[in-house]
Amino acid sequence: MSWHVSEQLVTSYVTGELQGARAASVEAHVMTCVLCRSAVNAEIPPERLQGIWRAVEDEVDAPRRSWAERVLTSFGMSESDARLVSVAPSLHASWVLSLAAVLGFAVWASNARSGGATLFLILAPIVPVLAVGGSYGRGIDPTFEVSVASPYPTMRLVLLRSTAVVAVSGALALVASFFVPTGGDAAAWLLPCLALLSITLVVARWFTLPIAAAGVAACYALPLLAALVNDRDVSRLLLSASLQWAALALVVGSFVLLTHDPMIRSALRRNG
Amino acid sequence: MSTAATVSEVRRRFGRTQALDGATFEIGTGVTGLLGPNGAGKTTLLRILATVAAPDSGAVSVFGRDPSVASQRVEIRRRLGYLPQDPGFQRGFSVFEFIDYVAILKERTDRQQRHGEVRRVIAAVDLTSVSGKRVRALSGGMRRRAALAASLLGEPQFLVLDEPTAGLDPEQRLRFRELVSRAGEGRAVLLSTHQTEDVAALCQDVVVLDKGRVLFQGTPSSLAAVGDGRVWLADERVSSAELVWRTGEGRFRHLGTPPVGAELVEPTLEDGYLLLVGRFDEEAAA
Repeated sequence: MSWHVSEQLVTSYVTGELQGARAASVEAHVMTCVLCRSAVNAEIPPERLQGIWRAVEDEVDAPRRSWAERVLTSFGMSESDARLVSVAPSLHASWVLSLAAVLGFAVWASNARSGGATLFLILAPIVPVLAVGGSYGRGIDPTFEVSVASPYPTMRLVLLRSTAVVAVSGALALVASFFVPTGGDAAAWLLPCLALLSITLVVARWFTLPIAAAGVAACYALPLLAALVNDRDVSRLLLSASLQWAALALVVGSFVLLTHDPMIRSALRRNG
Repeated sequence: MSTAATVSEVRRRFGRTQALDGATFEIGTGVTGLLGPNGAGKTTLLRILATVAAPDSGAVSVFGRDPSVASQRVEIRRRLGYLPQDPGFQRGFSVFEFIDYVAILKERTDRQQRHGEVRRVIAAVDLTSVSGKRVRALSGGMRRRAALAASLLGEPQFLVLDEPTAGLDPEQRLRFRELVSRAGEGRAVLLSTHQTEDVAALCQDVVVLDKGRVLFQGTPSSLAAVGDGRVWLADERVSSAELVWRTGEGRFRHLGTPPVGAELVEPTLEDGYLLLVGRFDEEAAA
């Protein structure tokens, strides 16, 4: 080694003032020269070195971000909230595929016989409701017990996860509705769906979310399916303006109830 | 010893089972052991103290806060570390990811600080070498340690541990004792276990629960003293004893009313516990 980095060069290198070829030359030398490496080490403030190491460790340890997390953060959700939401079981591929299969069956059945759109109109609104039921609760979320004992507001977690799973399952149902021969009424399930979701969140104040969702879905779908099996004309009811108005009234009523709930207000106020 | 939590006349029923039937006791700083046979109501009591469940009646207070009031419940949770009996893990999560997830639930939003804290608790339970491995691919003991690490996040003032040593090998159990003993310095730890050795080694106070009621609260030595004059060794099995087993030395250790001239020995905490909760007469009558 014919030369060593001068004290002045070391200082400019450490402070970042040295640029381009000269910085690269010093760096190449420091990599191979123990003496100059010690000089550089001595010049770096310990807290800066610690900060660099912490940042390196942070990058190495950083949890892998799932597709759901990436989508959620791209919509402006904080990294930590996105983490909590993305693990919702009903955002897992298996759940999404199951819901898609149910909708696929409903679409197939709708096209298989005349007036078959009725089955789709019964099933489409309950798909997002079931997805919400599968987003949080004992026996659904493996870390349920720990999450309940944590200070993170349960209602906030429920609302965030519900919004995410409704977005995914609702989008699936919306796409499916384009393949259903409803004669221009393909979106007739949307308001009933919103009404069922709002009622589920209201009922979840007294029951667990999975039970609330299953109960609301069953109360809505079972009588309609029974009528359909008995060859009653259910489609007229499902496409009627009165059902849409009733659904709208339920949405507004539930919204008023929910927004006056102190737990929900506190969950919505929270930042981050 | 300042009071961290009080449980007063707490009752909780599940269907036809009375899990807690008027349990009353206090938990101070230091490590308190909770002993009791299966079905004694230990897990129900721990879940109530961890604010996961509510009692049907009675009063609970943690750091002077009432868990039945929402705002006070959150304050308790901010100072609480909880290891459930059967901790679950998110599918596909590594040890680091799982503990990081719990740290977010514990309101650690600053990523770099949170990761530093996650690394600290992983090192505390000696899992640094497997922190990138999937939790579900680890052994039962390692999974238990990962869950324990999550409960230690943020150095909680009140640590509630439900059978933390289940599935740990002897070396891990010793390490666990060191950890819990440190956690109990100036803070409160409630430790539910079937391992009387852990209680003897760690706890300053013991609560014995049976059929939902508190049978005993006191120091480990006073629990052992329940067996004073009721534990003896003999070369032959004495059938009138309530419980007899052969020791490693080939002699028979007896619990119960000793015969005249029996070689009485110092009772252990386990002897005292067995004599306290033993329903040998009921079993014999059955």
